[in-house]
Amino acid sequence: MAALPVVKGTLDVLVLRALQWAPMHGFEITSWLEQRSASALEVEDSAVYQALYRMEERKLIEAEWGVTENQRQARYYKITPQGRAHLKAQTAQWLRYADTVTAILTVAPKQG
Amino acid sequence: MPREPMDLMQGTLDVLILRTLAWGPMHGYAATRWIRERTGGTIDIEDAPLYKALHRLEHSGCVSAEWGISENNRRARYYKLTARGRQQLKAEESAWRRYAAAVFAVLEPVS
Amino acid sequence: MRRLFKFPWRNARDIRADVDDELRFHIEERTSALVAAGLAPDAARTQALREFGDVDDARRYINALDRGTESAARRKDYLGELRQDLAYAFRKLRSSPAFTITAIVTLALGIGANAAIFSVVNGVLLRPLPYPHAEQLLKVYQANRSAGNLHASVSPLDLDDWRAQRTVFADIGGFWYSDGASGVDLTGDGDPQRLSAVFITPGFFTTLQVGAAEGRLPREDELVRGGPDKVVVLSNGFWQRQYGSSPSIVGTHITLEGAPYQVIGVMPRNFAYPSDRADVYIPYSTITDDMIPRIRPVRILDAVARMKPGVTMAAAGAELNTIAARLARQYPEDAAWGETTLVPLRDDITGNVRAALLVLLGAVAFVLLIGCVNVASLLLARAGVREREIAVRAALGAGRGRIVRQLLTESIVLSLAGGAAGVAVARAGVGALLALSAGQLPRGADVHIDGTVLLFALALSLATGLLFGLVPAVHASRAALHGTLREAGRGVAGGARRARSVLVIAEVALAVVLVVGAGLMGRSFIAIMKVDPGFRPDHLIAVNFTISTTRRPTGWQQYYHAVIDKARTVPGVISAGATKDAPFRGNGERDIFGPPGYVVKAGEDPPTARMMHVSDGYFQTIGARIAAGREFSPTDRAGGPHLILVNESFAKHWFPGEAAVGKSIDMAPAAINGKSEPAQIIGVVADIRQAAMDEPARETIYENNMVNGRVKVALVARTAGEPLAMARKLREAVWSVDKEQPITSIETFDDVVSESMARPRLLTVLLGAFGVLGLILGALGIYGVLAYLVSERQREIGVRIALGAPARSVLWMFVGRGLALTAAGLAIGLGGALMLTRLMSGVLYGVQATDPLTFAAVGSILLAVAALASWIPARRAAHVDPVEALRSD
Repeated sequence: MAALPVVKGTLDVLVLRALQWAPMHGFEITSWLEQRSASALEVEDSAVYQALYRMEERKLIEAEWGVTENQRQARYYKITPQGRAHLKAQTAQWLRYADTVTAILTVAPKQG
Repeated sequence: MPREPMDLMQGTLDVLILRTLAWGPMHGYAATRWIRERTGGTIDIEDAPLYKALHRLEHSGCVSAEWGISENNRRARYYKLTARGRQQLKAEESAWRRYAAAVFAVLEPVS
Repeated sequence: MRRLFKFPWRNARDIRADVDDELRFHIEERTSALVAAGLAPDAARTQALREFGDVDDARRYINALDRGTESAARRKDYLGELRQDLAYAFRKLRSSPAFTITAIVTLALGIGANAAIFSVVNGVLLRPLPYPHAEQLLKVYQANRSAGNLHASVSPLDLDDWRAQRTVFADIGGFWYSDGASGVDLTGDGDPQRLSAVFITPGFFTTLQVGAAEGRLPREDELVRGGPDKVVVLSNGFWQRQYGSSPSIVGTHITLEGAPYQVIGVMPRNFAYPSDRADVYIPYSTITDDMIPRIRPVRILDAVARMKPGVTMAAAGAELNTIAARLARQYPEDAAWGETTLVPLRDDITGNVRAALLVLLGAVAFVLLIGCVNVASLLLARAGVREREIAVRAALGAGRGRIVRQLLTESIVLSLAGGAAGVAVARAGVGALLALSAGQLPRGADVHIDGTVLLFALALSLATGLLFGLVPAVHASRAALHGTLREAGRGVAGGARRARSVLVIAEVALAVVLVVGAGLMGRSFIAIMKVDPGFRPDHLIAVNFTISTTRRPTGWQQYYHAVIDKARTVPGVISAGATKDAPFRGNGERDIFGPPGYVVKAGEDPPTARMMHVSDGYFQTIGARIAAGREFSPTDRAGGPHLILVNESFAKHWFPGEAAVGKSIDMAPAAINGKSEPAQIIGVVADIRQAAMDEPARETIYENNMVNGRVKVALVARTAGEPLAMARKLREAVWSVDKEQPITSIETFDDVVSESMARPRLLTVLLGAFGVLGLILGALGIYGVLAYLVSERQREIGVRIALGAPARSVLWMFVGRGLALTAAGLAIGLGGALMLTRLMSGVLYGVQATDPLTFAAVGSILLAVAALASWIPARRAAHVDPVEALRSD
């Protein structure tokens, strides 16, 4: 089964979720997402970095320099309080949306 | 909390239209009304994108169109699901389920 | 047939209207809803529009999308309809095998014949020569306007000067090749053989820009006198025949004319210039001065030239004329030769067959047209039978265009099938044509069925299908217009009758043109055959050989004498003699002479005449008539005063009204050798057709070969019995004098004359065949239409007979109709023939293109044939049983 592309708006929320407990750098975020979705979601690195940049602008996340396991320098992102609030609201909204769509798709008309 | 109608994500529009038409032939206006009612206003489709999507689906052979007479005796263009459209609908539905499941897996549990 | 029930296709305007309607509906629904919710109408409308979004953007997007959807659907529908039409066509054609096979055979013959002739035209006339940038190649002739000779051979010295002074020519070269005359003896490798040689000057190969297939071509220094010029290049054919295509021959030496020549290369397989009979290419510089003097007035070479890229023929001609004029001023012997004539090389090679080929192409096109008319006629008859079926389709909703399209599909399937079969016919036809015209056709090796020919066959098939299919299709589809099925029957029949009548008239007209062409060609051929060649070719045989001056530098006259005398002793030989150029085997030489009282004028060449070299007894042997005086006798062999004979044309021109015998002419008036050379005429011989049957004799002077000899010999003998049976004995006679004399060939004059008539014979046969074919098809057409008429009007005939009309009047009713149709066709055909046959005048001999006798004869033949073709069904009509006829219907 081919991986499904992630809609732009949804990606922000997923990234925030990834950062919910600990700061990560870009590559870690991508891996975490793929792993959590059992590779069902297609996450492009460029899209992730775009999302990170967008959210940094909006102060939903903030960045700092750190050192990775391989002793390399990398930019780590950390969720802000605004980010947490945004995450909570967007998650609720997404769930509502998904429920609605699924509801429409589930109620099957009489096949005739 | 006031519910803002959510913007429809790309790709979902087509599958919603197909699902709507599965209930029977409709013209464009009826389709918008049906979706709004079914979603309790949660999803509001804009008209222009809807008509574009309808014609796109006609072009790809998922729906066919015919002129007919509406409830108030006016000439309207009715859209009907084709066999290919039915197949497409099944495929899109299963794709949607997988997607939703994947996103859900990432997002839950919510703290 | 699904589409028949849908609405017709939408154009851009329809689509725009639909989109507008659809969006308008939506807006108005939304507006009503808002009004129902309490808004004022105007405000509601504004809000509805706002809520919609960008209406114009949506409209543009949807319009573009729908246009694409519409054209994709239309395409798919057409393809679907096409597939339907094809399946239907196959089914219908298969269900009437007699019709289908007749039609396909007719078309295959017509298209195949056209493709065959086109192959030849393509290979010979249209395809460029197989040299790089062949359009730059020219043939160059020297021109002497005052002597009226614009296509003279070129002097080797002039050629060298042209080459040295050229600027707009990439290169110029020359060659001497004379089938039968330019030969060399090959010895030391099996039997001694005489090879056909092309003697080339520097520039020959480089002008043509060919390369060797094996080895190399001569260098410049190998082609000039004094250089290491004993090199030879083999032709590919000779290399295959003699050396089995073995590459190891290159580099070795072969013995030509007693001297070793190094084989330096082999020509490619498709190289056949100047002839496919050439065996070897040798430098012209190897010809010694006593064979051909190396002086400016000896004009013997053929010259080819290549223009530099971008140079026009006009510019090339201008430069060459400038150089020639310069030479004319510089050298007195060139004084009259200040001009040149240029001809594109391809035209030069193929010019003499162009007329014949084009006539054939025209004729065969007519055959195809007649074939088309026939098939159209068949289709019309068939359409009559299918009226009902077509009317039903129309009633089911098929538009007229759709029906026409479907019937046309049938026609094109037929014609494509005919075309495919025609390719096989063409292959056989090309083979037959090449075989029949062996040796007559220049560039025969370039003729094959290639992509161009196949494309031609395809295009012709499509055009043919449209041509014969259109009228019956349109006509049959008229059934669709008529409301009821019953009505359809009546109206269409009348139209069919009219259409078939028109077709028959067309067929007769076409046949008339063909038969007139065939008739003219036939008369032309008879005229040629009736020509008195000036000698008797029966029981006449020639043994051709060349005396080798390297092996026999002196005393060859005695040898020549001995051979002739030996031949005379062979039992079965009535008489024997010899000449350099036997009739149809050479044209002698052209040389200057001085008639009595002639004064050399500066800047003007003296008159010329053909020079032939004959032995004593020659004229008697070949059966030529001595009109006055005597011919050479053995006593003249010993020398003495210079004696000559002339032919009647010469005598009439230069000695009108008096006896030429006894008069003297000067054989060297321009004082080239510093003295004059009087010669006395001892006899006048009747004109002999020397060049070809259809070329009248030129003024000729006959020299005694024993005195002023040439080494090419045609020993001629008249035999008591079958000439070919004497061949071996004559060969033995020659070898009994010299057992190492290579013999070039032996042939009978019946064969030679027959071969010279090959082209007109071929044309007559082909055109005759086409004419007969046209006649038969025309007769069939008339028969068909009348038979149909008879069956149609059975009832009327029955009534007439019942009312007491004599059989004769019924007979005349139909014969009259047939003759009327024929007369109409005749009028058109004869008119057309009058205009078209003048295109044939290039191939006609002895008869005019508008020969009234032929036209009248053709008209009578056609009327007679038509009368017969009408009489048969008319007779049937006259014997109709009135009771039966009245009962039917």
